[in-house]
Amino acid sequence: MTATLERPVTAPDAVAVRRRDRSNLVPILFLAPAGVAIVLFVILPAVLSLVASFFSVPLAGGAWQWVGIANFQRVLTDPAVLQAIGNTAVYSVITIVPSLVIGLTLALLANSVSRGKPFVRTALFLPMTANLVAMAVVFRWLFAFQGGFVNQLLGFVGFGAVNWLGDTDTSLITVALVGVWRSASFSMMIFFAGLATIPGTLNEAAKAEGIRGFTKLRKITLPTMKPTVVFAVVLAVLASVQAFDTINVMTQGGPQGSSETILTMSWKLGFGYFDLGAASALSFLLLVVLIGVGILQRRVLSGGSK
Amino acid sequence: MTHALSVGRWLLIVVAVLISLFPFYWMLRTAVSPADEVFFDGISLVPSELDWSNFVRAWEDANLGRAVLNGVIVTVSILVLQLVTCIPAAYVLAKVKMRGTGLVLGIVLGCLLVPAQVTLIPTFIGVNMLGLADTLTALVLPFVTSAFGIFLLRQQMMSIPDSLMEAARTDGLGHFRTLRNVVIPMAAPGIAAFSVFSVFTHWNDYMWPLLIARSTDIATPPLALGVFQQADVGLDYSALSAGAVIVTAPVVILFLFAQKRFVQGMSGTEIPG
Repeated sequence: MTATLERPVTAPDAVAVRRRDRSNLVPILFLAPAGVAIVLFVILPAVLSLVASFFSVPLAGGAWQWVGIANFQRVLTDPAVLQAIGNTAVYSVITIVPSLVIGLTLALLANSVSRGKPFVRTALFLPMTANLVAMAVVFRWLFAFQGGFVNQLLGFVGFGAVNWLGDTDTSLITVALVGVWRSASFSMMIFFAGLATIPGTLNEAAKAEGIRGFTKLRKITLPTMKPTVVFAVVLAVLASVQAFDTINVMTQGGPQGSSETILTMSWKLGFGYFDLGAASALSFLLLVVLIGVGILQRRVLSGGSK
Repeated sequence: MTHALSVGRWLLIVVAVLISLFPFYWMLRTAVSPADEVFFDGISLVPSELDWSNFVRAWEDANLGRAVLNGVIVTVSILVLQLVTCIPAAYVLAKVKMRGTGLVLGIVLGCLLVPAQVTLIPTFIGVNMLGLADTLTALVLPFVTSAFGIFLLRQQMMSIPDSLMEAARTDGLGHFRTLRNVVIPMAAPGIAAFSVFSVFTHWNDYMWPLLIARSTDIATPPLALGVFQQADVGLDYSALSAGAVIVTAPVVILFLFAQKRFVQGMSGTEIPG
């Protein structure tokens, strides 16, 4: 698809008219590849996921069997699934708020340092790029019960060892710590980019008025970058609900389902127990929650600067 | 700024940097430690000697050579396909006045909200029905386009002045040459940022390969590492860590080179125009 789509520059009127007639053809051709892919790999599967949640779906192929809302009833009465739903809520709360607060604090700090700014910034951005499987491997040893660095450190300052990943009381918190490590870095990057969009004149005006510290943050900085703040919130919510790699590698949902989330559970239902109907029902429930988040995002995206 | 506040601020920064970098350091330290020094008594932050053989064992035992090659093939294929599909679509949505573009844009934004996990099961069934399970094609196929890419690139292209588009039209440039000669050069920062983002995402992707790749011949780096850590490698943490370094390094290096441009390009996403 090269110059064949084009007509000579100094075309006579007749050609120009002909070109105008098919003027929408090229834009439609431009949209077509992305459009077809989006229909095939996003819209169609999302609709099928909804449909599948009302059927019993044999993984090996063969006829789907209509079961009505039985899949939803089953997942919503299964204690293991309810535990996973509860864990997801807890995991979200203990990762979203800290990662946003830490991300914002670090962005403000990194923005204000006078020396070594590039190094500080790079160091703080690095967790964002980490391969979560590789990092989960590392964190598993850092939090190992015997000989793990964290317990060594605790012992050094006189505390007893904690079985971070092996104890039902601490496994969820431990995987959440890794989640915060990662998404605080991502939040920071977004806040950092947002801070750069605040006009310098506004900062100077605040300085002239003697507004600083928390007052400045609350009255000037945060309101000015409101779209950034909401964008960061939405991404933090999505990251927390979609956490999978770390849990899959560090605990596989255990011990006793104590670190199982909706996502790891729907994975288990689908590909561990081959119950694709129930897995679809559960992932569809997740979609409903995310659409709620999405409506918020949409409102902000369309209400940005227009 | 008082002195005490300044000291407190630096202390916070130092702690944050340490926490941020420590897991990376620990990964490197374990990767070059003799196997019996992975766990230790007391706090020893540096290995007594450097043992590079861990990298050789990881490379061979986890079949990482093959995985890295697969990762490069998959990541580059996805990037090329996404650029080819997203750039023209973003151009039309940003700069062509045509009936229906509003609706198309709405659909693209809607797709941003659908997480990959929701489409996972039907896509899995579909790819299986096409007989593509366990092929490199299956690793690439669901990602031939990216709603996020279309959105990000459209934001960048929106900022190109309309007068430039007018000038291109008066010069008689058609859509194709306008895109190639005017729009792509102007949107280069956004294209670069999206390219880095795409490479991050798909080099690091674990869930889809875990689902669709059966044989080690088509394993991607994270998958090979995941399988390696579950496999019976005894207590060879040094080799596992060396594997983690091999999987992590390419993306970190890419980020170090591209970070300024990446952050600038990504910042375009939060304030749509």
